[in-house]
This record gives sequence, C-alpha cells and structure tokens, in this order.
Amino acid sequence: MRDSESEWSVLMRAAIGGDGRAYARLLTEITPVLRGIVRSRGRTLPPDRHEDIVQDVLLAIHEKRHTWRPDSPLKPWLYAVTRHKVVDAFRRRGASVHLPIEDFTEFLESEPGPDPLARRDTDRLLAGIDDRSAAIVRAVAIEGEETGAVGARLSMTEGAVRVALHRAMKKLARLGAGSGGDGPGRGRDE
Amino acid sequence: MRTEDLISRLVAEPPRPPLRAAAMALAMLVALALPLGWFLGSMGMRPDLEAALLAPVTAAKSLLPFVLGATSVALALHLARPEARVGRRLVPAALVGLAALGLWLGFWVQTPTQALGAAIRGSTQVKCLTTITLMSLPPLAVGLLMLRRGASSAPALSGAVLGLACGGMAAAGYALHCTEDNPLFYVTWYGAAILAAGGIGALLGWRLLRW
Repeated sequence: MRDSESEWSVLMRAAIGGDGRAYARLLTEITPVLRGIVRSRGRTLPPDRHEDIVQDVLLAIHEKRHTWRPDSPLKPWLYAVTRHKVVDAFRRRGASVHLPIEDFTEFLESEPGPDPLARRDTDRLLAGIDDRSAAIVRAVAIEGEETGAVGARLSMTEGAVRVALHRAMKKLARLGAGSGGDGPGRGRDE
Repeated sequence: MRTEDLISRLVAEPPRPPLRAAAMALAMLVALALPLGWFLGSMGMRPDLEAALLAPVTAAKSLLPFVLGATSVALALHLARPEARVGRRLVPAALVGLAALGLWLGFWVQTPTQALGAAIRGSTQVKCLTTITLMSLPPLAVGLLMLRRGASSAPALSGAVLGLACGGMAAAGYALHCTEDNPLFYVTWYGAAILAAGGIGALLGWRLLRW
C-alpha cells in the first residue's frame, strides 16, 4: 500500500494554504475510505443513509480542518474526526455503532472503491419511472444480477428485460439531466 | 446532494486561520484579569502578603490552585484537538488534588476535635465561595467561546477541565486577598468553588462544545 499518510498530509497542508485542487484531491481520496468505514459499521442502518453520514464526516473535516496541526500526522486527526462524527450520526439516527479508538489503518487497508451510484439520488430517480422498470434497473444496473435471472423472476424473456432496461436507462438519463439543481435541500440541521 | 458536488462546494470555500493556543490562553487571562483586578483593587490585597507568601502552608493557598489552573488551561487547549487523549496529562491536576487532600488531612489530625468545625467553617466561606466561582465565569465564558472553534472529542470533559482551570486561577488570585490560612478552611472552600466551576464548565461544555 502506498504511503497515504505523508501524501495526505502534504495535500492537507497545501489545502490549508489555499490550494483548492489539492484539497479536492484529498477529499476525493478520503471519501471511499469513509464509505468503507460507514458501510462496515453501519449494518444497522439502511444503506441509503450511509452516504449522508459520509457527507456529514466530510463536512466536519472541512469545518474543523483548522484544528489539525500541520506538523503532526494527519491520519490520527482524520480518524478522530471520522469516529466522532460517525458515532454521533448513528446515535442521532437511533442506531448504535462501535468504532474502535485507533484503527484507521485497518479500515484503510480493506477499502473497497467508491460507490458507482449514490443510492439516494438513484432512489429518487427510480421513483420517476414505473415500478417494473425500476425493479429491473435496480436488479441489473445496481445489484448486478444477470438479465436472464431477472427475466425469470419477473416472468419476462431475457430480451424483453434488456429492452426494458435500455428504455428505462434512457428515461433515467433524461430525468437525471432535469434534476441537476437540487441545491442545499439536504436538510442537514435536523 | 451528490458527494462529489459537496466536495466541490467545500473546496470553493476559503481556508481558515489555524487554532492558536497562545491567543486563546491570553484571551482567557484577560477575561480573568479584569474581574480579579477589580476585586483586588476594591477589596485590597492582604496587608501581610509578602510574609504570607514566605510561609509554605500559606503560599500553598495560591500555589496549588495556580498550578492546577495553569496545567488545566494547557490540558483544555490540548483537548481542543479531536485526536487528543487525556491520559497522563491529568497527572498534574491529580497531584494538586492529592497535595491539597494531604494538607487537609494533616491539619485535620493535628486539630482538636472540638476546634475542627470552627476551623473548617472559618468566617468568610460564603464570600470565598461566591467570589471564586463568580470570578471564574468570565474566563470560562471566553474559553468556551474559543473552544467552540476547536473540535473536542469529549465536550463535557473539555468544559470541566476548562472550568477547573478558571476556578484554579480565580482561587489563586483570591488567595492574595484572603487571610484565612488554615488548610482546613481553604482546601475545603477553595476546593468547593473550583469544583463548582468545573461542574459548570462540564455542563456548558457538554452543551456548547458539541460539533
């Protein structure tokens, strides 16, 4: 594994100095790690909440970044912020979570890649098409099921599933293009 | 909102000035110096101050709370960082507590039973309690405001340590005025006032230092 500690520290130092590109890279590299932590700990919560928590943590990292001392390692700081916000987020959502005090590294090593589709946005988009098409998109495009298996489940031919999927994806693309400006309506101060 | 969008929004914001422990300590010191200066100015220092500070037991009346205050300020500022742990940094405060307790017990065994009540009560305990507690509030308020910029992983603990710091400093200053030199008195009432400040700090910290 590459040395993300020194790399991230360098990025954060640059970010604090006003380098937006370094900051964007840092946050983008951190995000999958945060997802991994939230996902591995958050089995008691519905998965569509996970991305919310990831965003909570990112926001906290952002708002408290001046509390990191640039001459100290970044990861312990990063992990402390993450732990604090994840525990807090789960508590506020009525679920409990256990995060060990100091094993950021463990999470780092075992990290899966970023989620290809943000689950919540997908759900909202899928609500805009008919149920059967939504079920097909969910099964094939998100869960990765075989079209044949989906067809058998929905008593459709495999070809019909493919056609329906194709149409649904086109429709979703249109819906997605039209719903770009959802703005700050995420209701974060509950 | 998609996470990528959140990130690009965050990145567009300007960076923030770092947390400066020295500036925070200085602001708290000023917030303590004002009420303390006013109190000592209007009520006066004890007339025999120099002689009193040369007597170890009397000097301890200022010294112990001062050490508690100074080490607790440092600890409270340290705890403003999310990755901070308390651990051994509580040792100085614990040692001060032990020393005070030892002093109190030492005088307790030396004092005849019938004189204990009067020695503990003294004659100024109400003034002592209220003055120390009240004088600790301005620096506590300033300290809490400044710590809100921090990111304590244990808000109540941070508040409590800050309260102890302010109580200790206020007591050390008050001791320059107070002429009750029996540890049975000052450990009891100074201690109670400092602990009260710590309790207020814990409550306020729990409310105000969450993030």
